[in-house]
Amino acid sequence: MTELTLPMPLGAAPSFEDEVPRWGDFADTQPAPATTLSIAFTGSGSEYFRIWIVNLLLTLLTVGIYYPWAKVRRLRYFHGNTLIGGAPLGYHADPKKMLKGYLLVSVLLLLYSGAGHFHAVAGLIAFIAVMLIWPALLKSSMQFRLANTSWRGLRFRFTGDLRGAYWAMTPLFLPALCLVASLVFVPDKNKPPLWYGYVTAAVFGAIALLFPWLLQRLKAYQHNHYALASQHTRFQATVGMFYRLYAKMVGVYLLVMVGVGILVAVVGIVAAVVARTSPKLFSQGFNEKSVWFVVAMVVVGLVMMLMFVALIKPYVTARMQNLVWAHTRSDDVRILSTLKARSMLWLSVKNWFLVVCTLGLYWPFAAIARARMQLEAIGIASQISLDSLVQHGRATEGEAAGDAAGDLFGLDIGF
Amino acid sequence: MPSMLAPPAVLPGLYFDGQQGKGHAVQLHLDGIALRIVGDGIDRTVALRSMQWPERTRHGVRIAHLDGGGSVQSSDSAAWDDWCRTAGLHDSLVVRLQQSWRAVAVSGVLLVALVVALQHWGVPVAARAVVALTPRTVDAAIGDYTLGAVDAQLMQPSALPAQQAQHVHDALAKAVAGMSAGSVPQWNLVLRASKLGPNALALPNGTIILTDDMVDMVDGNEDVLVGVLAHELGHVQQRHGMRMLVQVAALGAIASAVVGDFSSLLASVPMLLGQASYSRQAEQEADAMAVDVLRHAHLSPAVMVTMFDKLAEWRRRKELEAKAKAEERQAKESRESPESAAQAGESSETTQATTGTPASPDASAKEPGAPSKDDAQSWLGIAFASHPADAQRVQFFQEAARNTIR
Repeated sequence: MTELTLPMPLGAAPSFEDEVPRWGDFADTQPAPATTLSIAFTGSGSEYFRIWIVNLLLTLLTVGIYYPWAKVRRLRYFHGNTLIGGAPLGYHADPKKMLKGYLLVSVLLLLYSGAGHFHAVAGLIAFIAVMLIWPALLKSSMQFRLANTSWRGLRFRFTGDLRGAYWAMTPLFLPALCLVASLVFVPDKNKPPLWYGYVTAAVFGAIALLFPWLLQRLKAYQHNHYALASQHTRFQATVGMFYRLYAKMVGVYLLVMVGVGILVAVVGIVAAVVARTSPKLFSQGFNEKSVWFVVAMVVVGLVMMLMFVALIKPYVTARMQNLVWAHTRSDDVRILSTLKARSMLWLSVKNWFLVVCTLGLYWPFAAIARARMQLEAIGIASQISLDSLVQHGRATEGEAAGDAAGDLFGLDIGF
Repeated sequence: MPSMLAPPAVLPGLYFDGQQGKGHAVQLHLDGIALRIVGDGIDRTVALRSMQWPERTRHGVRIAHLDGGGSVQSSDSAAWDDWCRTAGLHDSLVVRLQQSWRAVAVSGVLLVALVVALQHWGVPVAARAVVALTPRTVDAAIGDYTLGAVDAQLMQPSALPAQQAQHVHDALAKAVAGMSAGSVPQWNLVLRASKLGPNALALPNGTIILTDDMVDMVDGNEDVLVGVLAHELGHVQQRHGMRMLVQVAALGAIASAVVGDFSSLLASVPMLLGQASYSRQAEQEADAMAVDVLRHAHLSPAVMVTMFDKLAEWRRRKELEAKAKAEERQAKESRESPESAAQAGESSETTQATTGTPASPDASAKEPGAPSKDDAQSWLGIAFASHPADAQRVQFFQEAARNTIR
């Protein structure tokens, strides 16, 4: 991988890439009252590939015990290559602490996945238990992640409290509560009556409708509680904005589906024409035909899913990042995000193509490219001099278990 | 390792005290045990063991975190690395591996070998061990729950006379009576009418479900049914259902560790393949049990060949029925509108494929309709199939029949 040329920061802060003595001067420079900081990402795909292979091997050799060390190394690499106004982010979590968290969460996960096999009600209870613990895990994982991240020697903090975490989840809890409450009226849990099916459908419909609200609450919970030194962030995106984005996403989804539909129709017509002109092709043994039919179904299913992750997800990611970060600010600092959905889409298609072609070997390169695009789209405008940032007191760390839970349950808690 | 006598190495750097965002230009003195930070009004000595020291990477800025907040940094990574080396600090083994393409290539080969070994031996052995440690009551609970779910979704009460069910039950009981005590698990036979077609299922609690269609297909031949049921008994004996649960969980963990960070969709592909391969092994083990039981009962394993013949016949009949139905519809549709004829050709294929899917005696309870394949020997079919090819199994039973001394 070649050396990257970094875009120069827009403001007064000199680049980190300058020779050391000049860079030392940076400490004494008084930035202009309004400072603009750009973000540069200097990670390299080939280097991350090497880190990935070695750490993955160690993780598998140690039956997963090594995972926290691998994760810390990965995060340190990404943080250390994220230069905000020329200064890198630092990550200094203790892998030993994280290991305890992972062990705890693995036990929880085992209980959770095991419960459903014994009894429908046991599975439901486990599900409710996870739902109830989840906000607490969210809170402590945000705390852990932020308290272990620093910039210019200052540690970030997450100031959200437990009540806020539960409050943020109400759009999900209310419909779920209805579902559980109505279960009381079901006599035989293994043979639920028809009306319970309607209730379930209604509840899932309600959750789908309330989803943008839930997302806004969750993002508000996160983005209202970031702090660095004296700066505390506020979140100003309204529920309406999230619903507008959701509507657009549904529109894009329908557009993609129409495209897929046309594609399937064309293939179907071609197949039918071929079948008509040369019927011998299709009149082989019945079993072989059914194999190919199943294979075709699997391929169509995979293509549909690939469409979703390769086309719709990047669109949503780009728009969501812009919406969320452009509406996050503190008293003196504003954040801009100008991530283009089109660029993200193109990158995603390219990444997926190469990942599939290389049987997964390309994915560290893809991860680096994605991080670069997402991070470099963000800019920061500050009204105050960065030298004047002063931290009072120390950040609390939170539980490593929360961070582990986010990983294992596959929840998006990154920032 | 620290070299005590060498003079401390010096590097210009930037010091943040953890309280202010303002950085201080400092000189960093390193002697292998401690770091001394010297600057304008600053003179601080910190033990290296209390710090989080950065690792050598080609890209990225070096930050050493001080205990309790604050850090020292340098953007000149090459100078930092030289400085560390001069002071006698060495890279960890992991860092040396990461920075060498040769070591990475070796790691990559080892990784592939490890994943293959895990899939082939590690996971099945671990699953056996875990299942051996699991009390049988767990199997019973899971089996009871699954029976309830299967009954609710796929099954109706059997339409066959109770007497016939009793006969089948007695035939199996008689067949396994001669076996040694430990080799036969507890079992319980139930008959059900089902849209699954001719089939038999084994649940972890020892319940064996036999479909009416299977009894009808072999014309109630009890010898053949004993063979089919002994195969299912093999699944119970080997606790295949339980092992499959553990194997799937373990495979999932491995797959998500390898590619899960990028996409869970990608992680599901190796899982699907691995699962199918375990399922094929389980079928072979169950077939071995069937031969064992048949021999003890002085029956020829060739009864299973009869079963496969009947099955092939049954499939052909279904295929013909479906084809006739489709042709009828096609004729009707082309009479109504000539344009839609093309689509009719397409849909006829759908009908055939879905009506006649799985009919070989089935293993685990929740197995989805896997394609049966007589002569489809394409690698794709084999890779995704959850059963060995019928031809292969017929051959196995034929050979067993030849080797059986009667």
